[in-house]
Amino acid sequence: MSTGYITLIVLGLCGLGFFLGRARALATSKATGKKLHSLPNYYGQAVALFTAVPALLLMLAWLFLQPLMIEGRVAGMIPDSVIPEGGAKSLVMADVRRIADGLDALMVAGHMSESDLDAMRADFTDIRNRLGNVGVALGSDVPVPVFEAAKELRKSQNAGNFLMTLAVLGLSLGLLAWSWSRVHPDQRARNASETFVLALLIGASLVAILTTAGIVASLLFETINFFKMYPASDFFFSTVWNPQFRGGSDLGILPLLWGTLYVSFLALLVAVPLGLMIAIYLAEYASKPLRAFAKPAIEVLAGIPTIVYGLFALITVGPFLRDYIASPLGLGSSSSSVLTAGLVMGIMLIPFVSSLSDDIINAVPQSMRDGSYGLGATKSETIKQVILPAALPGVVGAILLAASRAIGETMIVVMGAGAAAKLGLNPFEAMTTITVKIVSQLTGDTEFASPETLVAFALGLTLFVFTLGLNVLALVIVRKYREQYE
Amino acid sequence: MTDLTSSDAVPAPRKGSLLTQDARTKQRNAKEARFRMMGLIAVTIGVLSLVGLLTSILASGLSSFQQTYVELEVYLDPAKLDKKGERNLTDIAKVSTFGYAPLIEAAMISAIERTGVTSDVANAKAAGELISKEAPATLRDFVLANPDLIGETVQFDLLAAGRIDGFFKGRVTMESAALDRNVSPEQLQLAQQLKEAGILTTKFNWAFFTAPDASDTRPEAAGLGVAIIGSAYMMLIVLVLSLPLGVAASIYLEEFAPKNRWTDLIEVNISNLAAVPSIVFGILGLAIFINMVGLPQSAPVVGGLVLTLMTLPTIIIATRAALKSVPPSIRDAALGVGASKMQAIFHHVLPLAMPGILTGAIIGLAQALGETAPLLLIGMVAFVREYPAGPPEGFFDPAAALPVQVYNWTQRGDPAFVERASGAIIVLLVFLVIMNIAAILLRRRFERRW
Amino acid sequence: MYDAPKFAETKVTNNDIKIAARKVQVYYGDTHAIKDVDVDILDKTVTAFIGPSGCGKSTFLRCINRMNDTIDICRVMGDILIDGEDIYDKKVDPVQLRAKVGMVFQKPNPFPKSIYDNVAYGPRIHGLARTKADLDEIVEKSLRRAALWNEAKDRLDQPGTGLSGGQQQRLCIARAVATSPEVLLMDEPCSALDPIATAQVEELIDELRQEFSVVIVTHSMQQAARVSQKTAFFHLGHLVEFGDTGQIFTNPKDERTESYITGRIG
Repeated sequence: MSTGYITLIVLGLCGLGFFLGRARALATSKATGKKLHSLPNYYGQAVALFTAVPALLLMLAWLFLQPLMIEGRVAGMIPDSVIPEGGAKSLVMADVRRIADGLDALMVAGHMSESDLDAMRADFTDIRNRLGNVGVALGSDVPVPVFEAAKELRKSQNAGNFLMTLAVLGLSLGLLAWSWSRVHPDQRARNASETFVLALLIGASLVAILTTAGIVASLLFETINFFKMYPASDFFFSTVWNPQFRGGSDLGILPLLWGTLYVSFLALLVAVPLGLMIAIYLAEYASKPLRAFAKPAIEVLAGIPTIVYGLFALITVGPFLRDYIASPLGLGSSSSSVLTAGLVMGIMLIPFVSSLSDDIINAVPQSMRDGSYGLGATKSETIKQVILPAALPGVVGAILLAASRAIGETMIVVMGAGAAAKLGLNPFEAMTTITVKIVSQLTGDTEFASPETLVAFALGLTLFVFTLGLNVLALVIVRKYREQYE
Repeated sequence: MTDLTSSDAVPAPRKGSLLTQDARTKQRNAKEARFRMMGLIAVTIGVLSLVGLLTSILASGLSSFQQTYVELEVYLDPAKLDKKGERNLTDIAKVSTFGYAPLIEAAMISAIERTGVTSDVANAKAAGELISKEAPATLRDFVLANPDLIGETVQFDLLAAGRIDGFFKGRVTMESAALDRNVSPEQLQLAQQLKEAGILTTKFNWAFFTAPDASDTRPEAAGLGVAIIGSAYMMLIVLVLSLPLGVAASIYLEEFAPKNRWTDLIEVNISNLAAVPSIVFGILGLAIFINMVGLPQSAPVVGGLVLTLMTLPTIIIATRAALKSVPPSIRDAALGVGASKMQAIFHHVLPLAMPGILTGAIIGLAQALGETAPLLLIGMVAFVREYPAGPPEGFFDPAAALPVQVYNWTQRGDPAFVERASGAIIVLLVFLVIMNIAAILLRRRFERRW
Repeated sequence: MYDAPKFAETKVTNNDIKIAARKVQVYYGDTHAIKDVDVDILDKTVTAFIGPSGCGKSTFLRCINRMNDTIDICRVMGDILIDGEDIYDKKVDPVQLRAKVGMVFQKPNPFPKSIYDNVAYGPRIHGLARTKADLDEIVEKSLRRAALWNEAKDRLDQPGTGLSGGQQQRLCIARAVATSPEVLLMDEPCSALDPIATAQVEELIDELRQEFSVVIVTHSMQQAARVSQKTAFFHLGHLVEFGDTGQIFTNPKDERTESYITGRIG
């Protein structure tokens, strides 16, 4: 039975539980003459919650765990002999999955029955042809163990699905009956259902923790796999990035790290002075109408998706820099360059720096300004010598946050910086970054056993650690700063 | 009291009229003016960047909403389409798109003759090349849908070839055509004459919103249909999952959570998640949802889940702010008449905080709609021509997404795709503007001052 | 009950008029905050502005060094002359004016800098010291004037925000005198201080009179009586009465002044 139907049935039982619970509460109250502890709806709600929630959670967990367990076992059935030269087990497993799906399709199309399948042997029947008829195209003939594995996979999956249906509906019905039987005028139904809801609320807040755990686990797990295949010292200290399809790749992070830092540095070089001056001007000088117009206009820049900036870099800024600056000066002929990406990313970061700095500058108490003006300082002297030093920690926090954005930014560098891993100084040359290489190593057909793919996880982990460190640092600094003036 | 030794120790007051500025004051005022000017310049640069960004996209993308079509009367020749003459669908279906190309070429020649245009390249092949390679497929689909019209002459609006379309939009010129293998200057002249004769027309490009993607060689046929459906499916998933989850988590953290190390951890966690690079969420989606759970690649369900996790912090932060802005007196009033804490929150606080929550949700959704990087990793870059089925099965079918479609098109050779990509961005931005206006209106409409 | 105040011992001598205000009007948007104020403030004298909250005494004080310029909606009309020069003349640069008319605020507001840099801030921006030694001297003299030298001399490089409230206010006074102003405006300088610190600052104000014309806004009538030679009573934006402190407190001419001093309004 498909999960959709199971969900529908459980929800139906849930509705049924509500009415049954409510009805029983009213009936028993009437029969015993006792006053209900809670409103009748709460009795229904308690039964309904017990009917639906545990069952649905069980289903969710089952859906997560079943593929893990079955695939692990089936993968064990495949001997190394059928793994083609230079290929990997994961590719064979993909075939197994497709054959299993194809067999299902054959069954649905009515070309064969369950007993036919049991009798079917890879060495006698032309499976490739028959699967082709139902739209499952296979690259080559199917080796016997692979076919057997596929049959086993299909069988286990069907068995698993059957068991899941049984378990989920059983749990739902069981809890329905149990909670219904507990309905009694003395039962504190409201407290019970509220405790249940509170548990759900706590569960929801745990999703954030689970997400972080998921990120860390997935990155760490595959990174460890990567370091088993590729020495960590080469990854961290090699200056060559040159992935090869046939193995023997050089996967040094240094050129990527250099590109990332170079682009981010240029971006901050654009964004920090501009953003800071904008924040100062809008907070201290601008007339009301100008502020009412310019502040939202600049904040719009923060709401524009990065793909738009990427396209801007690709079709406007890149060609402009190449045709009017780089080529005439003989500095390069590539439209994607460190400068292109840095410039466009700088524009993207302006609102991050400016709106955070604006808040921070406004948080400096007015008495500070009065003190300075009262001594005969001009506005700019007050800003430069009193307000900025006072706001410095906060501004530094804002810059760190912007830096973390710059390092993690993907689309602008994918479309604007280029793909060549280089350690160079010329900003008109194309270079590449960590995020660009994560994208290029993980898009298309990925094969999860080669260091060329797994390196993306090591890059991702590096990126995560970097940005996390900057964020935590920035948060600590900003929080300290706010406490100072509260 | 003072430890001053002699009263003349303080520097003597400078005497001088207030009405004249001394040199130093002038210098300081000049500095002040310069500083102020720098600020104004920075603001101007910021605003100009926005203007430049938008005009550059509009300038290169607006033309994608117009498309050149060829109005042709095509004779559906039974001798070519249905040799047996039985109008049997399986027989008709055996004629491939190559079988339809000669019909179009013939129709083109007769149209040229009818208008009296003379040209060096008025031969069947060159004239046929003015029409998109997509046209035979359009014709074939039409015939398969209406087999009884075989043998009659039917009026068609067929797509003009990408280069011809580009010629009328100024992208292709006589000079560039001279260097181009796909089109010759003579063909462009012919196209110009046909345009004047009314055979080539420019119309609003509805197909851009409905058609699926097209292959590298036929940019004129590429549309956003699949991408819009894919994005809509993902937004649906994001909304359905992240709103209840986010609101539930916020209620717990804001109203129930005790202040201890554990809840502090959750809070720090949420603010950090909000700043994790989006591409890391893509890695998470690939590793957990696709490799571990075995969900299909390129499917809206995976994209929706990944974007949900990304949007959650935004919604939680907005919801908590909304809950915080409901004054405690409301809670006290409810508790005072004997409501439980849960009742006070669900019956009184939550409805009052709802406008703020929905505003936050819309803004989170708008962010999710424009997000590209994580979707690249979960296979949404795949070339998808099939429309996904209706929900819920369609959530598991391969689909594209608006921002990824933009990226996809920028990676292709033909410059016509740049126009398409910019056009797609305009569509995306229009959606974002609508969502943000909705959020602003919602806030204005329900804004409450306590 | 009304305690007879103890009057400042020094009698007013025939000092020159330092500040002359004529028909001063101040508007905050549509609110008429100061109405027709005429007052002459003498050199080397402490003048106290007293009156109930919101009577306009602080607003008027802030007109004297044009601090109200920083508030957009505030408009000032009428004439205020310092040494015979109209400070609202278009040619007057408020920056230059404020170097001549220093100000100390209600709440101590040292900059988040070292004690030394706090005091040196004014001299630096106005270019009063040519050499480091000059600056050191100005800082030391100013701190001595503010009676803070002995407490601060060993910690000049420590942040000014680390001092106690009374010390901070004396630091602010040192900061104000460091630019060698001719007039010192004090806006309730003791309202945030404890009694001991208040006594120290009051004693200091009396010393400062030898050099400057001091104008002090205060809430406390006792303080006005203790430190000032001249007192002006403000009420609802009007300058009700202005005269020798002794006369105002013992023999007020106006009914409203008497009511305020005896505690019936305010």
